[in-house]
Amino acid sequence: MFVAVVAGIIAALIAVGIVAVVLVLLARHRDQHADASDPALLDTVGVGAEEDGEIRVGSGRSAAAKPADGLLKRFGALGALAAGIFAILGIKLWSMQVMNASQYSDEAEKNLYTTVRTPAPRGSIFDRKGNVLVTNRASQTVLAEQEVADNYNVVRRLSSVLGIPVGVVRQRLADTSSGAQNRRVVASDVRLRDVAFISEHADAFPGVSVETRTVRTYPYGALGAHLLGYTGSPTEDELAVTVEGSDIDSTDMLGKSGVESFYDSVLSGEKGERQVMVDASGNVVSVTSETEPAKGSDIHLTIDAAVQYAADRALARMIAPDGDIGSGKGVSGAVVAMDVRDGSVLAMASYPTFDPTNFTNGIPQDIWDLYNTEESHAPMLNRAVNGQYAAASTFKAFTSMAALQYGYATQSSTWTCTGSWDGFNTGSAQFCWEHAGHGTLDLHGGIVNSCDTVFYEIAKAFFDHGPEGTGEISDTALQEYVEQYNFGKVTGVDLKNESAGRVPTPEWKAEHWRNVPSEATWRGGDYTNMIIGQGDILVTPLQVACGYCGIATGTMMKPHLLKEVRNASGDVVLEHQAEVLAEPEVNRSDLDYVRNALRNMITAHTEVDEWFLEQGVQAAGKSGTAEHTDRADDAWFVAYAPYDDPKYVVACVLEQGGSGSKTAAQVTAQVMGAVMQAEGEQTGEVARVAGSSGKSYVTDFSAGEGRQD
Amino acid sequence: MPLPQIDTLDPSSTSAPRRQRRSGSHAAAKRTTIGGLPLAGIISWPFLAVAGALVVYGLVICWSAVQGDARYNFTRQAGGVCVGLILMALVWAFDYRKLAGATKPLLIITVVLILSPHLPVIGVTTMGATSWINIGMQVQPGEFAKVTVVLFAASLVSRYNGQLGELREYCKVVGLLLIPFICIMTQPDLGTGLVYLFISATVLVMGGARVKYLVWSVVLLVAVIVAVFFVDELLKYTTEDGTTEYRLLKNYQRNRLFVFMNQGSADYSAEGYNLQQAMIAIGSGGLFGKGLGSSTQSSLGFLPEAPTDFIFCVLAEELGFMGVLGLVTLYAVLVFVCLRIARNCGNLFGMLVVCAIVGMWLFQILENIGMCCGLMPITGIPLPFVSYGSSFMVVNFIMLGLIGSVYCHESRLGRG
Repeated sequence: MFVAVVAGIIAALIAVGIVAVVLVLLARHRDQHADASDPALLDTVGVGAEEDGEIRVGSGRSAAAKPADGLLKRFGALGALAAGIFAILGIKLWSMQVMNASQYSDEAEKNLYTTVRTPAPRGSIFDRKGNVLVTNRASQTVLAEQEVADNYNVVRRLSSVLGIPVGVVRQRLADTSSGAQNRRVVASDVRLRDVAFISEHADAFPGVSVETRTVRTYPYGALGAHLLGYTGSPTEDELAVTVEGSDIDSTDMLGKSGVESFYDSVLSGEKGERQVMVDASGNVVSVTSETEPAKGSDIHLTIDAAVQYAADRALARMIAPDGDIGSGKGVSGAVVAMDVRDGSVLAMASYPTFDPTNFTNGIPQDIWDLYNTEESHAPMLNRAVNGQYAAASTFKAFTSMAALQYGYATQSSTWTCTGSWDGFNTGSAQFCWEHAGHGTLDLHGGIVNSCDTVFYEIAKAFFDHGPEGTGEISDTALQEYVEQYNFGKVTGVDLKNESAGRVPTPEWKAEHWRNVPSEATWRGGDYTNMIIGQGDILVTPLQVACGYCGIATGTMMKPHLLKEVRNASGDVVLEHQAEVLAEPEVNRSDLDYVRNALRNMITAHTEVDEWFLEQGVQAAGKSGTAEHTDRADDAWFVAYAPYDDPKYVVACVLEQGGSGSKTAAQVTAQVMGAVMQAEGEQTGEVARVAGSSGKSYVTDFSAGEGRQD
Repeated sequence: MPLPQIDTLDPSSTSAPRRQRRSGSHAAAKRTTIGGLPLAGIISWPFLAVAGALVVYGLVICWSAVQGDARYNFTRQAGGVCVGLILMALVWAFDYRKLAGATKPLLIITVVLILSPHLPVIGVTTMGATSWINIGMQVQPGEFAKVTVVLFAASLVSRYNGQLGELREYCKVVGLLLIPFICIMTQPDLGTGLVYLFISATVLVMGGARVKYLVWSVVLLVAVIVAVFFVDELLKYTTEDGTTEYRLLKNYQRNRLFVFMNQGSADYSAEGYNLQQAMIAIGSGGLFGKGLGSSTQSSLGFLPEAPTDFIFCVLAEELGFMGVLGLVTLYAVLVFVCLRIARNCGNLFGMLVVCAIVGMWLFQILENIGMCCGLMPITGIPLPFVSYGSSFMVVNFIMLGLIGSVYCHESRLGRG
């Protein structure tokens, strides 16, 4: 690098030297009158004395021939040097200022103008009856220009008025996280008194301003926290992705989960823009143009606050009556309540839960740490759409329909249950949950009593008629049928990252166990497990609720949370249109047969029937208990009501909740009661819900208690 | 003989006849061409007019450049002009020829001035350079030493009557001329040192040094520069915090050269930023400029040191190419008017004084404007009559006074 520098200097100096020598030599060898070029330049001054000068030089030299006169010719060189310097500078400046002026002007403007965006208030979120679930609250924010940091008096005054230590004020003034051009936030949620004091003594606070900013507020605390979601600052990745028309600034609040995230573009509004002129230090000199921010649109959900409250409360009371997990039944759970007619979700609860109020300024480290402990049981997880469980006996409604559809069971078929079954003659019997046996029963009885043996027989029929046996039907005929009820697929509810669950097939099993070839073969036992909702099948509570819509009406509606979008003036700009999710192939009389059995399932269980009757609900439904070898069973209950004219479906799962007809049924009945009461225009009981404590008792659920559906 | 000197300022005195007598018919011819202007033999009106125009133009630009910057005080600059005017008049009236023989005292004064910042109590060191003294106010003696360097160099070379033909004598003269440069490098102040070198070089060329010697001197100079870089490369060392330090050239000097050699490449060093912003300021001025006081590059702080080293950029940005052309024209006219005065001076000492001053201005103009538009490496050399700095202003007025003195006391007869 310095070789180049040195070479350049040498070249330049040699060039200058050569030019100078040549000029001097030239001047020496020219006769004196050749110097006339020099005085000629003086013409431009209008002195008019060149002739005089010329004469003097000439006469001086010839007449006196004094030593100094021999030097006069060197003036030619000096004059030429001067002329050369001025010419070079002139040419360079001409090229910069005339030929390339626009390029430099562009660069000067680039220095000068900056666009500062002002955030828009987010839209609010309401329930179906207009109750506010999420809105903004004014927060008096004291802001200061960056130079205020250099003014000790102002820093000291801010410190004493706001009650913040001087060092902290300094630190906040130096914080550039909101961008170099933006004013620094000195304090948020400042008392109005202090705001008034600063405004009245503006002279004492140069560069300090007070702004009313908006932060998210949740009137009901943790109510529906999972479905509503929370907001937060964008991550590095989110900043890197630039969606057209909506540039994300690091100061923005983005929806991070739930509806806040799914409808972020609707809620976020349009930012205001301030075109400002800045100086070299980034200080705003003047504002050249300004557009006001436009508040985001409001979202009205299909959620009913009272139903949501009932669901949140029922789960909390069941799982953690004293606030800590383990004091009740189960460790976590979820409830989904839906309108079977249009797919509107009335409530979607998940427990344990969190209070998004704590997250308005980022998730505090202590809460983050607490919610990451194993004993907190993942409060941030929305189990209604992301919890994947074995469907257990709730699945029998769908497999019954499959059996009826394929003719492996008819409305008059009967089977005999002895409590154990070895239909494949493997030598190791499978058991019905009722080890004493149910005796002889038909499909109706099989559903009402949740008799496993009946379904083992049906599974065997599917297995025997598939390619392993006669090959009459596809080897995945059962799977294909239950997939008509949208199992193994996302429902498409308006929440991000919904889980799809799983319907096991021989291919899936081969792939899953590819490293353990002995396990990779599809066996009859896989059918007998799947048909009672055990084994490898996985479903989400929302999928189960949707599936029961199909049982209740024959048509499954796509679940959705959005009712309508209203703009800042309150006009409805978007209304949700109900969509059909699936219409499974059914024979109407078969469907009525299964529905009748589901109604009898409730009436036959006095305790369950009473829970529903207490709520004034005539429901049909099915319990389920998912067995686990290593921990307590998961409890399920799904019900729709009224049984003769279905309008609503409620599905509930309680992880490690024990018997479905004991725990989950209670929660389902309570939520269904709230759903029926919410039918009018009046909003039922609703109150603030607390976030999860994050704690749980160490409980020992003794395994092998036996399943009791 | 002080009294007759004052007499020469008085048009009604006997100075006119005496002057006529001295310069004979040529002086009379000159008078007639200039016309009815008074004091024709004492005051060169074209010279004074162009100098006045430059000073006024410079003040206007300086005023615009210091607007809104509390570090600079325009009143101080105007005060410098006033003091300068008085000193110019005094120097003008003073017969410079009395200094022709004072080679030794001039050298001593020069050396004392340049070394004075090294004195314990009054010396001031800022930014690594011991270049200032504090005598009630802060002044830069190296700046004032330009005057004595001009006089010293002219006096030294004029002793040889324009025939510096012997190598031994040439070497002696060059050696003596290098003394001020060596002294200023102890501060160190390369910018002013280069000005001294250019003054000395002009005096040598115009003073009749043999061309052969001059060529060899240039070759030697190149060799010395190469040697400096070479030796510096050998002497470099790494400091504790891992940066490479050189002993002869400072890192910022290397950066300036590097920036100069690598224009156009992305460079985020302070030096690269300065040059880039200076060029944006000049280029964005366009043909007619943004208007006086409407610059954005300098008034909003993008351009560093706007009123001092980079004041040319303020002019170029606010008044555009036409304003720049005006300044360059004024400089050109000043240079050629001065060269004519030098040529018409029958006294070798006087001629060399004027040529040295012209050479000095030429170098400063070339270097200052050149560095602003990327033609020259960046050095801290101010722009004559324009840059902010009252010492600098006063020195330039003294230079004007010296030229005036040469004009006023010009006489072939006087030398004989």
